[in-house]
Amino acid sequence: MTMLPILEDFARACNSNARLRQMNRDWSRTIVIRTTDKGESYWLRSENGSIRSGEGPVPDVDLQVEGGEEIIRAVFSGEMSPTEPYNAGDLLVKGRQDDLMRLDIITLLIWGE
Amino acid sequence: MAQRQVLSLRTAVSTSAGLASAAINFLACVEIAEYAGGPSVWIALLVSGGLIVFSASNFAELSGLYPSAAAIRVWTRRGLNDSLSLIISLVYALTVVFVIAADAFVLAQAFHAAVPAIPGWVWITALLLLVLWANLRGIRMAGRIQDINAILLLITLSVIAAVILWKGPLPPVRQFFHLGHGIFQSIALGVFIYVGFEWVTPLAEEFSDVRAIPRGMYMALGLIAIAFGLFSEALTVIFPRPGELGSTLIPQLIAGQKALGLLGFWWMLFITATTAMTTFNGGLFTASRFVYALAREKVLPKKFSRLNAHWVPSYALVAIVVLSLILALIIFATGQYAVLINAGAGVEGLVYALSALLVIRLRKKEPSRARPFRAVGVPWVTAVIGVVFLLLGTAALFTSSSAVPWAFLFIAALSLLVTLYVYILLPRIKGKAKVKRLEMTSEETTE
Repeated sequence: MTMLPILEDFARACNSNARLRQMNRDWSRTIVIRTTDKGESYWLRSENGSIRSGEGPVPDVDLQVEGGEEIIRAVFSGEMSPTEPYNAGDLLVKGRQDDLMRLDIITLLIWGE
Repeated sequence: MAQRQVLSLRTAVSTSAGLASAAINFLACVEIAEYAGGPSVWIALLVSGGLIVFSASNFAELSGLYPSAAAIRVWTRRGLNDSLSLIISLVYALTVVFVIAADAFVLAQAFHAAVPAIPGWVWITALLLLVLWANLRGIRMAGRIQDINAILLLITLSVIAAVILWKGPLPPVRQFFHLGHGIFQSIALGVFIYVGFEWVTPLAEEFSDVRAIPRGMYMALGLIAIAFGLFSEALTVIFPRPGELGSTLIPQLIAGQKALGLLGFWWMLFITATTAMTTFNGGLFTASRFVYALAREKVLPKKFSRLNAHWVPSYALVAIVVLSLILALIIFATGQYAVLINAGAGVEGLVYALSALLVIRLRKKEPSRARPFRAVGVPWVTAVIGVVFLLLGTAALFTSSSAVPWAFLFIAALSLLVTLYVYILLPRIKGKAKVKRLEMTSEETTE
């Protein structure tokens, strides 16, 4: 099953949160999410406080998130905070730490502690 | 796939050198020279630096294997287990608090020397509160300024030391090769000069070229060895008798004045301030984010994951500054700054030993995982260097001017508290959180 619906729900949750929209208004980033076991590639694009999602490769990536499908699914559906698999080495990231922290804050604001 | 905003080799060098160059290093140079017996201090710094090159290759392999900002937390978790990883990471992160406290002490001594009317403890409190305020508002020193400061410090130390050595009079040549009775402690404490060079590894995710980190670390180690080696030698010219070395708490200001007069004094005061501010800036950011990450992982109280209006983990930040302030004031009241140097050198020596163990274990546990950089001499040379660091770390912890090994007792007490937390308190906290989650889930299901 594709992960796109999960990322679409994630983007919807971000866009319906006023605090998040305000926080992300000047945060323009392209995030690529890659499942290491399935080799699938998805993306999230943040622009003017709004987040969109999609499938397939994109140019000019700011943050690349890699992990097994199960973990990616758990992180973007709120079952697990990104920090847990990240600190275990199961979620690898390529990009700036500030952006990674922002992604973690987004999940914190959507799903709480 | 193109990736934007990547860091360069220059940043790897300046970050590695900058994080290793704390203001407390000035006082560490005095202690190392004292134990070495004077001008032979270069031997101690060369030997400890040579050993650290091997350790740098371990960090380079680990960083390439798991490039992560959580660095040691990830490597120890993969190589050992979760509980041990947590104990090691927490103790290691606390060394940041030691360095911040030590730098606050050094900076306060320097400011007090320039403005004697204001007592040192007022400087310590005011400076740390100022740094806390700036950090709480999300104000950070730009990376570029940090880079410039690191290079400026190393050039300044080299120039000032060269002028002092040129002015002379130099000690007889044989004294440069005379090994004092404390040479082993001197080598052990020499590790402290390089402490922090490996803190560039948490930035691994931000480099597009994985070779930048090992190259940057090696170049930084060379620059640190030259600058602080020359500075230590210059100190032995200013204080020809080793017994006199420990008589000052502002060796860098004295060296500046000796080399360039009043201009040198004020320039070194400025350099001390920027160096300490860089330490505060980098140290507080790294440590507060680490505490935040552990709170998000639910291994520290969840209050530490709270963010203020500037998206800063304020509780974590305040806790670290308060701990640093308490420690700095204790050091100021007792004058026992050497305890922090010895404890820092000890913990880092043990962490360098651990890096050897992790490289060997992970080669066995995960042999097929990609390693962009492979450490040299695995397993035998790595194991021998690991044992040497174990001995050096232990020696640093037991180095003391009094009969009581305060550094050892301090670290032992700290490790014990952390261990009790991880094995006794944490399972209870996690258990309660699990019950609460289950209750919430069942309430949601009933609704």
